[in-house]
Amino acid sequence: MSDFIAQIVVNGVLSGMVYVLMALGFTLIFGIMRVVNFAHGELYMVGASVVLVLYGMNGVNYFLAVALAAVLTAGLGALIEIGLFRRFVKTELNGMIMSLGVAISLQAIALIVLGPAWQAVERPISGAMQLGGVVVPFDRLFVGGCALVIIVAFYLFLKRTRMGLAMQTVAQDAEIAALMGVGVSHVSALAFAIAAGLAAVAGGLMAPIYSVAPYMGEMPMLKAFVVVVLGGLGSIPGAVAGGLIIGLVESGFASTFNNTAALIASFAIVLVIVLVRPSGLFGKVT
Amino acid sequence: MNVRVVALAVLAVLAAVPIWIGDRYMAHIAVMVCLMAILALSLNMMLRVGQLSLAQVVFMATGAYGSSLMSIGWGLPPALSVPIAGIGSGFLALVLGPLLLRIRGVYFVLLTFSLGQIVNLILQDMTGVTGGNSGLFGIPRFELFGMRLARPENFYPFALALLALSLAGAAALYRSRAGAVMQSIEQNEDLSRSLGVNVLAWRVGVFGLSGLLAGISGACYAHFIGFISPAAFTFAISVNILVINVIGGVASPLGPLIGAVLLVPLPEVLRDAQQYQLLVYGLLLIGFLAFFPSGITGFLFRKSAGTGLVGRSMKRSRQK
Repeated sequence: MSDFIAQIVVNGVLSGMVYVLMALGFTLIFGIMRVVNFAHGELYMVGASVVLVLYGMNGVNYFLAVALAAVLTAGLGALIEIGLFRRFVKTELNGMIMSLGVAISLQAIALIVLGPAWQAVERPISGAMQLGGVVVPFDRLFVGGCALVIIVAFYLFLKRTRMGLAMQTVAQDAEIAALMGVGVSHVSALAFAIAAGLAAVAGGLMAPIYSVAPYMGEMPMLKAFVVVVLGGLGSIPGAVAGGLIIGLVESGFASTFNNTAALIASFAIVLVIVLVRPSGLFGKVT
Repeated sequence: MNVRVVALAVLAVLAAVPIWIGDRYMAHIAVMVCLMAILALSLNMMLRVGQLSLAQVVFMATGAYGSSLMSIGWGLPPALSVPIAGIGSGFLALVLGPLLLRIRGVYFVLLTFSLGQIVNLILQDMTGVTGGNSGLFGIPRFELFGMRLARPENFYPFALALLALSLAGAAALYRSRAGAVMQSIEQNEDLSRSLGVNVLAWRVGVFGLSGLLAGISGACYAHFIGFISPAAFTFAISVNILVINVIGGVASPLGPLIGAVLLVPLPEVLRDAQQYQLLVYGLLLIGFLAFFPSGITGFLFRKSAGTGLVGRSMKRSRQK
């Protein structure tokens, strides 16, 4: 029994780390631009697709491929922000509808370029280790480790660098930030780029585990959405805590009931949170 | 350009198309245009009180499943089960409204999005009642005045009449005093409140009406196709009717009509280039939002219907 619970915790934390990667970008975009980015799952998909093309089809080193996926998708994110989202800074619903347009278009492009089928990506890491009665696959452990390093780096960036502090200022109040000499538009573009890069890393890391398809981004987007609402829209600590909580709850539910029940439970949580405490666990009350 | 002239022209063309082509498949698409336009109109009502609802698909689903179950299980004729299911869906909206509509702006979108997801998952999970993912088969076809409306070309005049009725009703509503109150709520909620308008009650009322329309559209869909499954009531429907509204324009009830006429047949037009269909859809949405946020009707009737309801209304939702 204790092994069973330990396995649930290990699974939950390992998948929770990926949710955190997705949720950080999602919440960052909301905090800075007040846009609920429905295209976030598609950025994940773009990252995975780049890894599929570079590593799976052309034999580029896997780790290099993930890094390139992050850089390329970050560039794409900056372009999208500058070209499409910037005009809706104060009209949040239009920004949200725009993100739907971006999501549909990115999916369509992937459909045209890669086709509709799920394509497997060869696993660069295989095997598993046994800790007592708990099985830990090396590839999941690697993904979790990478996610942890990135999350810590992102945290240090926000707290220790001038750009990170500027980003937090814009999230608090864009007008005052501008008065203090922060280049709000640069910050927004960079924030979108970082968010896109984080999603792409998550996609690239998961590509060998789940295969790649144009619609693969749907589930991670829903997860990020649930995590961020739970933690509080715009809250960075909320995204981390929410990701781990959802990872654990889901792993528990999926082991005891089934996946549909786990999903219903997570959306029920969202419903209750928005109705009772829209600011989430860690958000500021507005 | 006069709004009514355009409305009549579009409806006349819609009426003529299947007769002109005389093709069963065309009639099928034309029926779908009518049903989607009604659904899009139900979203249009919510947009006009300043709330973007992603839950219209929920009422579409309750209408469809409600009417199907009543006619399969209790043997009710569709002519009876459709209105009952529609009214039931409207009533459900009235009950949920006071709870949901206290929440505004982005959070309302999140809320209705989650509600749509939950309802779809429940439809998949309750296999005993809804048949789960295999859906409900053998839903009885419409019968009206003793005539079976099984074939699309027979069903079409009925769908078109229903659409015309809904549009005329919405147009009358928007023009009336109630419509003026709705507009005031959308444009300046605080000011309306200060004038004694019970904003929540008005929104709940409109939500109920939109639930009724969505429910009827869903119920008709079920009896028209004869088969329903959760796959027909996904987030994609919410996105579709939103795109229809954005491209047609929110400011006029004609927007949903024109949007549906342009977008619903798109998959058929692009049948030989299926992979490009989604791309056209996405690019149209981006293009309209960026360059014509008030949609085609905003472009056509710049003077008569005001401009940029979407653009302007969405600004108002940023209230701390």
